[in-house]
Amino acid sequence: MDPITLLLLIMIGGILIGGGVHFIPVGGAPAAMATATGVGTGTAMLAAGAGLSGLVTAASMSGQPFYIIALGGAVGAMLMIALTMVTANLIYVFGAGIVPSSAKVEIDPITGRNQEKYVTPGTEGHGIPTVCFVSGLLGGLLGGAGGGLVYYAISEGFKGLNGFTPEIAGGLVAIVAVGIFFINSVIASYNIGGTIEGFHDPKFKRIGSGIISCGIASLVMGAFVYLLTIGVLPIGGVA
Amino acid sequence: MSAAGGGPAGSAISSELLLVIGIIGGLIGIYLTPLNHLFGPLFASLGAVCAIVWGSDAIRRVASYGLGTGVPSIGYMSLSIGIIGTLAGIALASSSLLRGLSVVGPVLALVLSMVLGLVVAILAKKVVGMKIPILERCTAEIAGAAALSVLGFSAAFAGSYDFAQILTLVIGPGYIALFFILNTLAIQHPFNACLGPNENQVRTLKLAGACGFLAMVIIGIITIGNPALTWKGIPASLLINIVGLGGWIIFFKKYVSASFKEAASVKWTGLWPKIEE
Repeated sequence: MDPITLLLLIMIGGILIGGGVHFIPVGGAPAAMATATGVGTGTAMLAAGAGLSGLVTAASMSGQPFYIIALGGAVGAMLMIALTMVTANLIYVFGAGIVPSSAKVEIDPITGRNQEKYVTPGTEGHGIPTVCFVSGLLGGLLGGAGGGLVYYAISEGFKGLNGFTPEIAGGLVAIVAVGIFFINSVIASYNIGGTIEGFHDPKFKRIGSGIISCGIASLVMGAFVYLLTIGVLPIGGVA
Repeated sequence: MSAAGGGPAGSAISSELLLVIGIIGGLIGIYLTPLNHLFGPLFASLGAVCAIVWGSDAIRRVASYGLGTGVPSIGYMSLSIGIIGTLAGIALASSSLLRGLSVVGPVLALVLSMVLGLVVAILAKKVVGMKIPILERCTAEIAGAAALSVLGFSAAFAGSYDFAQILTLVIGPGYIALFFILNTLAIQHPFNACLGPNENQVRTLKLAGACGFLAMVIIGIITIGNPALTWKGIPASLLINIVGLGGWIIFFKKYVSASFKEAASVKWTGLWPKIEE
């Protein structure tokens, strides 16, 4: 793969990852106490869960064209984020005894049901209502596809190099892809200030600056991956 | 006081001193690796512990401003930056561009990681609009500490900081993923555990030392997987484990006694009291 395609694919992947984070209902510590809407943990944990499952399913599609790998990543990430949200909702509803509702909108944009009445006074909503769940699925789709693209770009970028033996291929590609995934998801997380409910949240309007910073950061990381390909070349023989 | 949001409390140990300890200690440890198959890995992992303490202090300074995303997020991000920078650095040093100069690998890894950390921090400040005055310096410092700690442990396991060795022994079998999570926890956990109104730098750094040595014990255990690391019949894993366990016991004892001393009073341990008041 020529360096320009490598850089472009890593940049597009990074933009998809960064954009995807804006859709995921990240509730942070307040959500863990059911005083804010979303899954009760931070972006780093959700990225580790959904992102890494996406990378595993993307890697299982190795050797396929890029869109199949991206789709594979999307399926894995969507499944994981969906399971996370369902499990969180089960705990919120049957464990904490709250009604999933959002304080950011008066009626749920998808079901059209009233939200305001169900929000406990003094909280910013709780649980994962329908709109957040759908938004989370979209986030999984974008993030997983982005992770898959990054994985594809790196594995294709190394392909054909002398030092790139099957013994090191899995470990090398996986750790670099995981690194790029984490960096982009944390930059996007800074952009939303740590918590967001989904595409109906007013903070979602900041997605532009998040995408720009993830794009630039991914471009720089792409350059680092290119440096890495130069180093992998001479091992095990003359280039 | 150093609760999240207010900026760091006064520090008894200056950040410059910790930076010097982290960089010099880490680099000396890594450069001493090829010396001997028994003491080399020990020095490399001690270097990594120095870097972990430095990284913990940098996390403490930046996270006390309140990142909004939790302390672990910057740890995971900086470790990712550190690993990508390290791999690019030692790869570049072993490439044909710098033929015969593989000795600059660790320095290049440190510099590239800090540059990538700086780029990400500048983006976070200028484009995203974060308002933490020391974000650039601290992100670069944590990324540099991450690079030295990962490279230190990798060199301890591989017995060399050469790219080819690390690629086949550490990255191929996937140990690098373990080092990623292990070092993230060791660097971000101390401040994450200690933050709050009564946080104090010395206590946090005592916990950082304990976390670093505990990580070293795990490195000692997995070094059993590299049988080449023996000298006169003594395996390096034994030495790393003994020193690691000793260091952990010393630092953890200091940390626990500091916690008891600095607590207003220790009245209730979580168990139900025997006598009703």
